[in-house]
Amino acid sequence: MPANARSSRSLDVPVARFGYNPSAWRQRIPICILAMVAFFIAVYMALYQWRFIPDAWDPVFGDQTRAVLDSDVSHRMQRWFRIPDAALGAFAYLGDAVLGLAGSTRRWQYRPWMVILFGIDVIPLGIVSAVLVVLQGTVVGSWCFLCLVTAVISLILVYWAYDEVWVSLELLWRVWQKTHSVATVWRTFWGRPSRAAAEAARELIEGTA
Amino acid sequence: MWARVVEIMLACWLAVSPLVFRQAEATATLWAIDLAAAALIAVFALASFWPPTRHAHLAIIAVSGALIAAGMMSPYPPSPTDQNHILVGLLLLLIAVVPSDASRPPASWESFDEPS
Repeated sequence: MPANARSSRSLDVPVARFGYNPSAWRQRIPICILAMVAFFIAVYMALYQWRFIPDAWDPVFGDQTRAVLDSDVSHRMQRWFRIPDAALGAFAYLGDAVLGLAGSTRRWQYRPWMVILFGIDVIPLGIVSAVLVVLQGTVVGSWCFLCLVTAVISLILVYWAYDEVWVSLELLWRVWQKTHSVATVWRTFWGRPSRAAAEAARELIEGTA
Repeated sequence: MWARVVEIMLACWLAVSPLVFRQAEATATLWAIDLAAAALIAVFALASFWPPTRHAHLAIIAVSGALIAAGMMSPYPPSPTDQNHILVGLLLLLIAVVPSDASRPPASWESFDEPS
């Protein structure tokens, strides 16, 4: 099939820069599965903070996990957000999974807003949560094994998710370069078609400048 | 349409949650708030199945915002009911932004005549 015909209508089309389709299910499903693992770990810690379970399992640092989950910092966050911080983390990981599942296998072109929302949930929030977990050793003075596991998962999710976000941002950048129109970029962001967006997407698929 | 189904399931949870989180105070008020919110969510989610009102699910964002605000304005420590409102509001906020036909390209792209 000629590249032009393939790029115009097919959904599962590789992007030249990566050599694969960053919105393909084989790229997104592992992200969703890993995010759900982190979600269940965070829910487990939230259940301890709600006192639905009497203890928090930690095979490495022993009682330090409880010290972290019951720390002043944790209580202060609960005072701000009205729910345990682990529940907030669980919500963020569930967001990764839900936003990872939503959209077609060409959503980087057809719904850039969804990819960028997914990217905001995964990348900045993931990095911030990982930094906060590492800082807990210095601020709280205790380490939490399950928090460290979720921090590692966050960083893996960042690595797995960046390609799709990159392609969507590059699409918007190319539309801007072609039109210098904020309105066209804005419409492309929200998934509205235009000649410039179609051409930019084709360039990304074919790897032309 | 899976997102709309999840919204209806959350509306059902909200409708029965006064039974789960029984409180001595303000039981009638709690029932009224939760049933009204659940009814609105269910109506908006169901309306999204009808093509002329396919974007009705976006109105659920307002309902979820109200639920979150109600929970956040509660006195500290928050009751289980308040925390339930915040969590259900957050979940609805997440689900309500997902388009009904998310796994297909938008209709405007499907009908767009791409340049050759």
